[in-house]
Amino acid sequence: MIPIIKWTLWQQRWSTSRWSIGVLLFIFLSLIFYPSFKNDAAELQQSFANLPDAAVALLGGSTDFFSPIGFLNSQIYFLMLPLILTVLAISVGSSLLAREEKDSTLEVLLARPVARTQLLAAKALSGFSILLTVTLIALIKILLMTPLIGLDVGLVVILQATLVCFLMVLSFASIAFSLTAIGYTRGASTGIAAIIALAGYIISSLAGTVSWLEYPARVLPFYYYQPESILLGSYNWAHILFFILLIIGCGVLSWFVFRRRDLGY
Amino acid sequence: MDAPSIEIKNLSKQYDASTTYALKNLTLTVKAGEVYGFLGPNGAGKSTTIRLLMNFIRPTEGSAQIHGLDTQKDSVAVKQSIGYLASDPGLYQEMTGNQYLDYMEELQLTTNPTYRRELIQRLRAEPQKRLRTLSRGNKQKFGIIQAFMHQPRLLILDEPTSGLDPLMQEVFYELIHEAKQRGASAFISSHILSEVQKTCDRVGIIKSGQLVSEQSVTEITHKAEQLFHITFASTPPVDQLNKVLGLHIITHKGNELTIKIHGDLAPLFSVLSEHTVLKLYTRHPDLEDIFMDFYREDQEDTI
Repeated sequence: MIPIIKWTLWQQRWSTSRWSIGVLLFIFLSLIFYPSFKNDAAELQQSFANLPDAAVALLGGSTDFFSPIGFLNSQIYFLMLPLILTVLAISVGSSLLAREEKDSTLEVLLARPVARTQLLAAKALSGFSILLTVTLIALIKILLMTPLIGLDVGLVVILQATLVCFLMVLSFASIAFSLTAIGYTRGASTGIAAIIALAGYIISSLAGTVSWLEYPARVLPFYYYQPESILLGSYNWAHILFFILLIIGCGVLSWFVFRRRDLGY
Repeated sequence: MDAPSIEIKNLSKQYDASTTYALKNLTLTVKAGEVYGFLGPNGAGKSTTIRLLMNFIRPTEGSAQIHGLDTQKDSVAVKQSIGYLASDPGLYQEMTGNQYLDYMEELQLTTNPTYRRELIQRLRAEPQKRLRTLSRGNKQKFGIIQAFMHQPRLLILDEPTSGLDPLMQEVFYELIHEAKQRGASAFISSHILSEVQKTCDRVGIIKSGQLVSEQSVTEITHKAEQLFHITFASTPPVDQLNKVLGLHIITHKGNELTIKIHGDLAPLFSVLSEHTVLKLYTRHPDLEDIFMDFYREDQEDTI
């Protein structure tokens, strides 16, 4: 198992580096301008006071963009960080097995004394490591920048928000990964996982104003990702069970089908 | 007594999307120390058989054992003693040859660095270069090296010399002979008949997913029809020749005939003795002729 993880990470090293640099730049550019308007925060906030409900819902149900927590939420945690990490997660999740299956290298690995379960676990752990690395780089950057720009947000809530964001994107990676494990191509898996992510964002955002959307929203990961609540300390931590169960469910499904199915497209 | 290297019983495979069987009731045994050639054109079921043996796909019916172990239930244990080469070997294009071989060695757990170096040298492989920069033949060399480098008890090779130049093909034949001398067995799928004739003890011919013949190379060539090219001084006695039992006229061009005959040659020479024959030469049949006979029969059946 260790050689597969080692060589998978070696193969992904440049891609992981590029994503890490991209996340660093994104966080830097998102936060660096805070000092220039933090003194005018109250006035700026006033201009968003009369937004229609639907627009407020799409913005995450909050019009607080300029308080320290509101700024960190709107610039980093509400959309952009989860979006960037989701793209990475789906891309990694859908390629780890599917690319090897398409290139017939999966058969090269399984021609050696390697059980399918071991291979699956090694690929899943490789994907987990890549996502964790980029997320940790993002977290460290946020933790380093917030005191420098005078963004007064507690260390613990930043850790918590990053953790829940990580769990959500990990669930998207798990969906993409399990789809390839059960035999979908890389393209199909990327598409389905992206639709689940995007639909989750739109439906969950609109669920606040369109009451019947509340029910479909409950089966989508984005519904359980509420960064403002986490940063404010009012998050219902039972929500992370959804992500954990979804990740476990995808893992079990992948294991169950991949052990038995025919390889090769 | 050693368990057979491969024992396949009633193995069948029907792919989900297909209504026909890619492989139907295949039963065969490869004895310990034997080199078995598996012949057939593309789509006959050769790669399906190999993929079933390697547990990449699951059989619809039947089972297979390698060294007495079930290929599905004991897949991991089975692969400790196998060297496998796919018809289109999957290579990590961004790796160098050395990195690729390191990876394979780490997974195999058994290593023989001296033999690996020897293989690289004999096949004139370029292990420092990235695999994506190599030609088809040079990539194939790494496929061969990774299959042989741990000196497995059984080699399962699908179209092994594909892309290799004649010199390297000869090296490959030597490697097979050396493996056999070491006591290893091999199951070689091929449609290059001369290759099978050079390397194999026994040959199985597969047609439309079914094994149609299984004989030793010596036996199969002895039993085969002989080919004669005859030049007559005048019009060839076609009617008389057509009456000879077991004789088929393959070509007839002016005074020249090419015939194939199976069995007793006396009636043929009796006819020839009544005519002036300017030239007569014969060619001993090779596997290609035998193989084509099976497929010609099939085409005749379908017409």
